[in-house]
Amino acid sequence: MSNRIVETRTVRTFGPPRRDRAQMTNIALLALLLVAAIALPYLGASGFMVSLASTILIAATLASSVNFLAGNGGMVSLGHAGIAAASAYGAGWASRQGLDPGMQVLVALGMTLLASCLYGLLSMRTSGIYFLMVTLAVGMLIYGLAFRLSSVTGGENGISGIARFEWLDSYWIYYYFVLGVFVLATAALWIVSNSPFGASLRGIRDSESRMRSLGYSVRSYKLGAFMISGSVAGLAGLLSVWHTHFVSPSSAGVDRSVHLIVMVILGGIGTLLGPLIGAAVVVMVENLLSSYVDRWPTLLGLIFILVILFARAGIAGSAGKLFRRLRARSKAASSPEGDAPGGAAAPPGDRHAVHQGKDPQ
Amino acid sequence: MTSMKTRGRRSALAAAGIAAITALALTACAPPGASEPAPSAGSNGEDGGALKVGFISPTTGNFAVAGQEMVDGWNLYWDINGAEVEGITIETIVEDDAGNPETSLTKAKKLVEQDEVDFIVGPLIANTALAVAAYTASVDVPNLHPVAASDDLTQRAANDLTVRTGSMGGSQANYPGGEWAATEGGYDTAVTLCADYAFGWESCAGFVQGFTQNGGEVLEQIWFPNTTTDFSTYVSQIQAAGADVVYVATAGGAPGPNFLNAYLGLGLDMDDLLLNCCAADQGTLRAMGDQIVGLKSVSYWAEGRDSEAVAEFIDAYGEFADGKVPGAYVAGGYMTASLVASVLAERGLVTGEDLVSAITEYTFEDSIFGRVSWDDYNQMVGPVYVREVTAGDDGNFYNTPIATFEDVDQWLGRSPEDALAQPTYSQSFQGLE
Repeated sequence: MSNRIVETRTVRTFGPPRRDRAQMTNIALLALLLVAAIALPYLGASGFMVSLASTILIAATLASSVNFLAGNGGMVSLGHAGIAAASAYGAGWASRQGLDPGMQVLVALGMTLLASCLYGLLSMRTSGIYFLMVTLAVGMLIYGLAFRLSSVTGGENGISGIARFEWLDSYWIYYYFVLGVFVLATAALWIVSNSPFGASLRGIRDSESRMRSLGYSVRSYKLGAFMISGSVAGLAGLLSVWHTHFVSPSSAGVDRSVHLIVMVILGGIGTLLGPLIGAAVVVMVENLLSSYVDRWPTLLGLIFILVILFARAGIAGSAGKLFRRLRARSKAASSPEGDAPGGAAAPPGDRHAVHQGKDPQ
Repeated sequence: MTSMKTRGRRSALAAAGIAAITALALTACAPPGASEPAPSAGSNGEDGGALKVGFISPTTGNFAVAGQEMVDGWNLYWDINGAEVEGITIETIVEDDAGNPETSLTKAKKLVEQDEVDFIVGPLIANTALAVAAYTASVDVPNLHPVAASDDLTQRAANDLTVRTGSMGGSQANYPGGEWAATEGGYDTAVTLCADYAFGWESCAGFVQGFTQNGGEVLEQIWFPNTTTDFSTYVSQIQAAGADVVYVATAGGAPGPNFLNAYLGLGLDMDDLLLNCCAADQGTLRAMGDQIVGLKSVSYWAEGRDSEAVAEFIDAYGEFADGKVPGAYVAGGYMTASLVASVLAERGLVTGEDLVSAITEYTFEDSIFGRVSWDDYNQMVGPVYVREVTAGDDGNFYNTPIATFEDVDQWLGRSPEDALAQPTYSQSFQGLE
């Protein structure tokens, strides 16, 4: 048994990506989803719905950055809202100084790199719960600065009236812009995850001491991973501040970071589409369902508990698992070996299952 | 190997599909919804006599109690007077924002674009209020604020569509408190203890400016984080400062009773204490009971004031809430509703910017706050009361006015231009030279 676990893990981590039908279905599914997303404004969705879709995509971009660290590096960050907020405040400050959106981008980028570097340097020596605490602490630091430095950040009142580029002014053009950024960011994270760098990260996740003894510089890998994840988070922060034209300390709050982790876990840690699914569920409960249900926070909690209890791998992960189990069952008659689990949608989720000894096969 | 072929074909197909759709999206014109102008206020104006109101308030989360009270005040007025004024029916859609600015904005968008409301009331928390006010102004929808106390809402962020209808800014409501302490109160020196965030900074700034402008001297200013539960160290600091009067500003909720318990527990004299609106609100009075009869505070809302409008409001709320006395949040909601009703009764159906100018040109003679009017920045100008806790015959406790400052404006004795040229208030800047 233990033999098999080691073997499966090694093969899947370091082996060439498997190209099988599951992956094709995944790509087809993704294409379909993309087409639906592109068609959305043309299907009679109101301006409000399209702008809500932008909100979901922005939240999904931010959740993807958390997902990248958690899925590949096993590093669960409780402070990513702080990075996004640093970027948003950069843009906000630039806008308050009367700078144009181009300069906002530069300042936001600078703030993002600064914040990610700070997070990365402080957390690269830690893992597990200590990593969680360090990121939480830095997140609180950013929240505190946003709250206290009122001459720069506007204090609790925040900064309003932050304008985006004129050519992005219309809500539907902005939606396409956000969609494009989301697709590019997701693709970039996916490519990095499937590169040797991603494989080394997963190696560190599984056994830090082994990777160190193999000669890998674990700290630099962790710092690098944080910088990549932080850049995506900063991008999401800029998108969000252009979407709402407003930033306040609550965007750096702990509850925002917790929401991100809820999104990632709901969707499925380490899955490609998990963050999008999780973000869609959370944002829709928060903004749509709350109009009809008074106790919507309870409902969100209930969904979370159900997913944890019955679908440990999250919505995307479990759907993939279910799909493969069904297929394996139908195939069982013809080939006794069954089909190896895999596919683009849920590789790391699967490894978790293996790790926990819960692989259905 | 056949699967490989199919795969190749499929991916080619998928790629072609994506390319085709993208091309379509790029060449096609804007989506059908984009060409429509944003539904502006007044879209309901033609069908003769219906006003759709969007009400945003945090009815869940940390501010749920205050948020619910604000909604209750608004609904209470329409319940007892009927949701119809001169043939104009009022329909309210309540949305919960959980005190989160992003949700607040989404809800405001929903109310404006989907429900096509004529104006928006709320939200409650300062940053949500500022975010929503900026958005509603950009789509020409009026925004009425029953409670939000941020000074900037009617100062640096003021616009023609935002009006504060049921409360005063933090500095405005406490400025007369400083004036009273230095003159009638007869205190020469003061120490302040305020919540360490925007509302506390503004409240304290109001008090210390009123106090020093009338000859008082502020010995020390102490700040506490909003989450403080144990005030004993702060009380020791107050004791050490040795001032004649202690001014305390909290944002409502638990800090008020917690502070009083620590203060009275150390045997300090309640007569030297002056609280702000929220430290001595109904929640504190209910929690502390008999031991704080005689406690002084300063606010624009005085439930113990002898007035027909106040009596009617208190009776109605008592019936609605099991004999409780309404606090400032309920009063803000009720005040906003009664103001809208009065303006509609006088001017008929007005929407958009006309509604806001109708409100700001109006003088509300017999409101529950007293005689109030509005300034050029759409902020309430009205009475501020120095109040004392008294025990009522019904077993409730009331803040009863002992001194009244009429027509208090938001400029603290400056010209609007001078006031706006100052930095915003903070720990380090309290408006003193």
